[in-house]
Amino acid sequence: MTPANRDEANLATDRATVERMADGDTAALAVLYDRHARAVYSLAVRIVTDPGDAEDVVQEVFTQAWQQAGRYDAGRAPVAGWLMVMTRARALDRLRRRRARVTLVEMNPSTPDPRDPAVTQEALAITAEEAGRLHGALIGLSEGQRTAIELAYYEGLSQSDIAARLSEPLGTIKTRIRSGLLKLRAAMAGVGDTP
Amino acid sequence: MTPTHDELRELTGAYVLGALPDAERIAFERHLATCADCSAEVRELQAVATGLATAVPQVDPPAALRGRVLAAATAARGGQATVVDFPVRHTAGLPAWLAVAASLAAVALGSYTLTLRQRIDQLQVQLRDANARAEGVERDLRVARASADRAGQIAAILEAPDVRRIDLAGQASAPGALGRAFWSASRGLVFTANNLPPPAPGRQYQLWVIPPDSKTPVSAGLLDGTGEALTFVAPGTAPRVGAVAVSIEPAGGAPQPTGDIVLLGSL
Repeated sequence: MTPANRDEANLATDRATVERMADGDTAALAVLYDRHARAVYSLAVRIVTDPGDAEDVVQEVFTQAWQQAGRYDAGRAPVAGWLMVMTRARALDRLRRRRARVTLVEMNPSTPDPRDPAVTQEALAITAEEAGRLHGALIGLSEGQRTAIELAYYEGLSQSDIAARLSEPLGTIKTRIRSGLLKLRAAMAGVGDTP
Repeated sequence: MTPTHDELRELTGAYVLGALPDAERIAFERHLATCADCSAEVRELQAVATGLATAVPQVDPPAALRGRVLAAATAARGGQATVVDFPVRHTAGLPAWLAVAASLAAVALGSYTLTLRQRIDQLQVQLRDANARAEGVERDLRVARASADRAGQIAAILEAPDVRRIDLAGQASAPGALGRAFWSASRGLVFTANNLPPPAPGRQYQLWVIPPDSKTPVSAGLLDGTGEALTFVAPGTAPRVGAVAVSIEPAGGAPQPTGDIVLLGSL
């Protein structure tokens, strides 16, 4: 099986699993968990750092996936991308709440529709090979680029927060984020192999 | 000050990482709608953002988590998440069972005897009367119930332990307008506005909530009336709210904001 075929097969399995979940098949939820819990947990740990909080995020994400399986639109985003969008949103929520030191009444389990129309299907459908190249390319970014991107993506800081945190002009941060992402994009696509 | 294209182009990266403050993000999205170059770049960079989700050290979750998650998720099935629950507007119609009963009665008895036929005629007259009365009573009841419900919903939201206030400021096209939203994650959203100019013919104000972390405004419904002191309630499960906005849209509303933002405020 070629890597491309394997990606296709994975996407199809995921879609079928979510369809079964929509029909109320709890065994399908277990399948989804077994296929994606590691990725969800890993991203959650990276964002919230506390393992206990990360476990709560995993629980919230799979609960949400179970509840919203019927509304999942296969034409839109691959299941993995759908789960990752939910995971990041949930984890950043938790981080911000902790950071703001506000005690909020426990949030209602409803959340916004994760099928963010601003995110296109192609954007969420990256191949395993592309993901691998991206990981390698992150190391090749300048320290300034990598830090700015990480603070935005994994800590949910706005560009002005990042500028304040790093004591850099806002314009510099904008440029670093964009140039860093463009470099990562090129590396993902397999062009511009120089770091 | 209107930013130049180059200045906006610098924002593609921050945009896909969700690092733009709401006002800037809304302005940038408006630019995206008209700029193919920036849109293409945003699509490219979104793939990187997705990749970042998996570009983290991979760790196995604790084995015990699996059982906990599966039990919790399936137990929560009852609480189907809907983004915003709106009151369903019932259309005033005849009580269907009365109409059905009348026609069934006519079919079953109509051909027997003259006496029976006359009796049926009488019954039909009575049924029509009953229909009309029931319809009137039902309509009154619906109106009363709707206003009581509405008052109850407003009170419930305002008294919610988690209620938060969001003040909305008039934007360039309606600088004198003021809005205020009271939002409770558990109970819903109440919105009021003052001094909104009456919408042009064929246009209507539409209320949007923008969840935190999301780039996408979710319609919370259309605002009726002239815009003077209107109140709007979205009871039930409210989405998480980061910002609230009102835009002017074609009558009937739009799936995403297309017109001027007239009121905007964030938590």
